[in-house]
Amino acid sequence: MSNDLVLENEILNLIKSAFNAEGNVIKSRRVEVFVKKDQVSSVLLFAKEQRGYIHLSHSTCIDWIEEGEFELIYSILSPKDKIMLYVKTRIDRDNPVMENLDGIWHQLNTYEREMREMYGIEFPGLIGDKEFCLEDWDEIPPMRRDFDTVEFARKTFYQRPGREDAKDVRKTLTEQSGEKIPDFATKYSRE
Amino acid sequence: MSFFDLKGLLQPLTGIRQFGKKPHTIKLPDLLLNTADRYRGLHHNDLEACIGCGNCSTICQNEAIDMINLENIEHKDGDSGLRPRVDNGRCCWCALCVDVCPTGSLNLTKDYIFTSEDANDFLWIPGVDNPEGNNNLSFTSDTNTSLSMYQRVPMRELDGKERVKSFAEVVLGYSEEEARREAQRCISCGLCTNVCPDHMHIPEYINAIAKGNDADALKIIYDNNPFPEMCGKVCTRRCEEVCAIEVRGEAVAIRWLKRYATETAPTAEKIKEIVNPVIKESNGFKVGIIGAGPAGLTASYYLALRGFDVTIYEAQAHAGGMTMYGIPKYRFPLDSIDKQVDYMKSIGVKIKYNTKVGKDISFEDLYKNNDAIFAGIGFQNAWTLGIENEDIPGSIPAVDYLNIINRGDSYDVGKKVVVIGGGNVAIDGARVSKRYGADVTILYRRRVEDMPADWEEIEGAEDEDIHIATQTIPTRIIKGDDGKVKAIEYLKANMVADDKGGRPRPVAIEGSETILECDTVIGAIGQEADYSWLPESFKDKIEVKRGMMIVVNEFNQTGDHKVFAGGDAVNKTADAISAIADGYAAVIGIENYLVKK
Amino acid sequence: MREKETTLYIGPQHPGITGNMMVKLKVTGDTIISSSTHVGYLHRAFEKLIEQRNWLQSFTILCRFCVPEPDPMELTYARAVEELEGREVPERAKYIRVMVMELARLQSFMLWYAGQSGSAGLYTLGQWSVGDRNYVLDLFEMLTGGRVYHMYIWPGGVRRDLPEGFKEKTLKTMDYLEKRLDQYNQMLFDNTIFQKRAQGVGVIPKDKAIEWGVVGAPLRGCGIKSDVRIDEPYEVYDKLDFIVPTAEGGDIWARALVRKEEIRQSISIIRQVLDKMPEGEYYNRVPNPMKWTIPAGQVYTRTESVRGEIGFYVASDGSDKPRRVHVKGAAYTHGVTVLDKVLKGQNIADVSFILNSLGVCPPEIER
Ligand SMILES: Cc1cc2nc3c(=O)[nH]c(=O)nc-3n(C[C@H](O)[C@H](O)[C@H](O)COP(=O)(O)OP(=O)(O)OC[C@H]3O[C@@H](n4cnc5c(N)ncnc54)[C@H](O)[C@@H]3O)c2cc1C
Ligand code: SF4
Ligand code: SF4
Repeated sequence: MSNDLVLENEILNLIKSAFNAEGNVIKSRRVEVFVKKDQVSSVLLFAKEQRGYIHLSHSTCIDWIEEGEFELIYSILSPKDKIMLYVKTRIDRDNPVMENLDGIWHQLNTYEREMREMYGIEFPGLIGDKEFCLEDWDEIPPMRRDFDTVEFARKTFYQRPGREDAKDVRKTLTEQSGEKIPDFATKYSRE
Repeated sequence: MSFFDLKGLLQPLTGIRQFGKKPHTIKLPDLLLNTADRYRGLHHNDLEACIGCGNCSTICQNEAIDMINLENIEHKDGDSGLRPRVDNGRCCWCALCVDVCPTGSLNLTKDYIFTSEDANDFLWIPGVDNPEGNNNLSFTSDTNTSLSMYQRVPMRELDGKERVKSFAEVVLGYSEEEARREAQRCISCGLCTNVCPDHMHIPEYINAIAKGNDADALKIIYDNNPFPEMCGKVCTRRCEEVCAIEVRGEAVAIRWLKRYATETAPTAEKIKEIVNPVIKESNGFKVGIIGAGPAGLTASYYLALRGFDVTIYEAQAHAGGMTMYGIPKYRFPLDSIDKQVDYMKSIGVKIKYNTKVGKDISFEDLYKNNDAIFAGIGFQNAWTLGIENEDIPGSIPAVDYLNIINRGDSYDVGKKVVVIGGGNVAIDGARVSKRYGADVTILYRRRVEDMPADWEEIEGAEDEDIHIATQTIPTRIIKGDDGKVKAIEYLKANMVADDKGGRPRPVAIEGSETILECDTVIGAIGQEADYSWLPESFKDKIEVKRGMMIVVNEFNQTGDHKVFAGGDAVNKTADAISAIADGYAAVIGIENYLVKK
Repeated sequence: MREKETTLYIGPQHPGITGNMMVKLKVTGDTIISSSTHVGYLHRAFEKLIEQRNWLQSFTILCRFCVPEPDPMELTYARAVEELEGREVPERAKYIRVMVMELARLQSFMLWYAGQSGSAGLYTLGQWSVGDRNYVLDLFEMLTGGRVYHMYIWPGGVRRDLPEGFKEKTLKTMDYLEKRLDQYNQMLFDNTIFQKRAQGVGVIPKDKAIEWGVVGAPLRGCGIKSDVRIDEPYEVYDKLDFIVPTAEGGDIWARALVRKEEIRQSISIIRQVLDKMPEGEYYNRVPNPMKWTIPAGQVYTRTESVRGEIGFYVASDGSDKPRRVHVKGAAYTHGVTVLDKVLKGQNIADVSFILNSLGVCPPEIER
């Protein structure tokens, strides 16, 4: 029954037509819809109150830095249909503001606090400590792609001496043979 | 449930039963827990088997492994000389390093107890700091469990029966998907680059292929090899012999990957478009090149790029040297040569064909009219077999035979052909004869495993039903009544261990004379250079060692500083890539000599 | 005398559960008025680290998300990568994976016995179950080379085949544990102290449970039959015979009853799997890990752990490293918003008791 994806197509088409949205049936039990950011709350409410998607599985963010956008994903589940619906939206990375939706599911409060801290997304009206996992953080939000963990570790932590004699294998080999790797090729070298 | 639930109060007291039982715990230190056979404890490295590829260090996501120099371990072909050192303060014993070690030298042991007050002691060199770990190996890898990809993506070929019908190229080349898959196998250590005479940037171009950037791959290849399609088809590929994957599996098909990359540019124009070479402005220097073989072509190409005015003088009607007149077309087709030579011409290399130095133009003239000379003259003359009747009709050296066929003329080998020798030239002679419908036997002094020919060539010959008669020593050619070859006589041989530790020698068995009827005997036991072009007056400066090799320095410069030389006539390895390396080295030499002097 | 409102802090040093976190309570007398959870003591930026490692290297980090239950993390990730790549897993590997999952549940249940009884002040049982848990860890050591962190299930299958004698040893251990369970239950479920403390405490209302984001045994303890293993069967769960127990009441007692039965189901599943496991390959090898790229796409895979659903939202941009891996563990809701709601009106002494019954694992919240 679930093989012909009847229920999946039904919810997809409902949302597509009601919200003029794009979307796909990814496979059995997985449906995604792409909506505008100001439509998210109506889509979530519609799915929750009228279509039985009463369980919020999780919500998360992906940093598409190259495109200047954050993608926000709200994964909700209908225990009856056993279908998971991903409600996805994209917001401007330079002005990352998203509606606070913890009125729909209280646990979104935690997700939003986390996204505020880790990605720097603002949720106007969000109640809860500014600090979630971090303490006295004064760098850019760390889950952003442009935050360099290695660099941070280098400057923050003390490196134990005693390993300076480490050699790069490829470089050592070129020293042995006299090979000169042209600059444009080094991006393909190891490490 | 009433408040005084008697059962509920008494039941838990049944636990008291346990008092009388023996404890499950064990007593230290008399009874140390014997860890499981797969336990992931401290590392051990077999220092002899390790090749210093550094793959362990690359995979470790805790940056726990450094590659370091050790006393007593020197680098050699196929071994960087470096060895891993593990920071046990960082290691999480995931054993990914074990699973990616291509040689299987690195393993984890059953040992898990190590204490020290000095934090520095936790940096240790597996195998050096725990030599006894060898007896305690537990988490190990074999070729099934290892993450190294030991199996090569097979190369598609024409079927043996099909290919002997024509000179169509036998090897069909990788498809894009196959090339990507094969390129993925490379672990980018670079051990191969050291043994490549030309030190091509192998891991880099393979990685470019793996990433789907074929144009970048081609560019990287052209950095120091202007004849790569030839190498991609026929290179002796010593690189593959030291491939890290080869230790326990099949080497990465470096040659076929190069071939793939070059085939993505089907025309000379396309090569130029992709390589997009920077051609420097003329620097006013003129260089004369003798011979349009791989050595001469390479020198010309890079000299032309650097602004030199280059002219090649070539005795034959076509460029390519032995790769044109020696190597059969089913291995290296004509249009492939032409494409590459056309590209070289398009960046300014000039070639004068049918111009033999010493005959059509004198060496003195060349010397006078140029600022430098490069001689890439190759080995044009075959060694003689030194047996009776060698000079009668029906007996021909392989290089002469191949030359006739490759230039488009014909030679009738008859029904039965005997080829003498065990190198690539012998196999080429045999496989070409097969293509003319002959029944071919190769006579070779030693065993198949001793044959210097490429294993793929030997397999190719076997697939084509060429008989290889090993441990045979030809003694004379028998002349028929018509004055032509009728048969060959040979002795069978035993392999005798060499007292001095060299490879076993064949020793003829007395009375084992055997006669094999044949129409043609093709000798392929070696070639040498022809120095008739070199005037006596130059010979005190340009030294020719033992009548064969021109003596040069590291920049391929001869005793006469204006004269450089390279290729078969200079190096000991006598293959195309060595000739290319010589040509490239000479370019640096000539530039130093003329421009930077 | 009128009682004054005070603020109390439970934790951050191991507040009766594995891992560090702090519950800040507002109380009058010993009644909780409100609570809030504070995490960050264990934040190691795993999700960020994964983005900087290649697809295989990441696999070694996963087990660290939750010490008591490392294996479901490995499986959930492996399945996500396989789904993105379209990589098939050999049948035998699927059986082995299910066996590992159930062994993992088993050892985690043993820890739960210890935590649940210990936080009620019953210490003997904890000594037993943690001791017996070591027999399960022995099996893990034999199978994977590691006792707690196994790094065994990876994309494409499992890392090594079953060693010789493993099946026999496992069956023997199962027989032993089954006998021991009776003794455990006498110590716990038949114990008045436990009964009194567990019944009617830490109640999750049935009509709110799903909306609150409750999963796993706590949800089943509300009488709602929900288990990823049957809702969305993975590996070979659909070929096995097992029941998903439920209990009514939504309190600690109900959750305990559910687990009491589930642990027996795990033993039964392990026996079935060992019996039905086909011969054959255990691994569909991935290419050279340093050059292994995964096609662009996004997937969510979920697995049933002892604490409830564990899910991985994995996004690939087609490169050799994950673009994003979001780990959703049961504790994320149970330990924060659900806890806040459940603790209201409860006794201070019941906080760690409730935390245990909700299966809260702090590192899973902050990752
Ligand atoms: C049958 C055969 C098969 C081979 N197979 C392989 C193989 O599979 N892989 C591999 O790597 N190598 C192979 N080789 C070896 C390879 O072809 C040579 O090592 C390579 O061609 C050497 O290059 P070179 O430039 O030194 O000399 P050559 O290629 O020999 O070129 C020398 C050129 O100089 C010209 N010349 C010589 N004297 C004069 C003069 N006085 N005036 C003008 N021109 C002159 C010649 O005509 C020739 O064109 C093979 C060789 C033979 C004979
Ligand atoms: S991967 Fe193995 S062979 Fe390579 S350096 Fe490490 S231990 Fe040596
Ligand atoms: S076992 Fe894992 S952590 Fe330890 S050195 Fe090897 S790769 Fe690194």
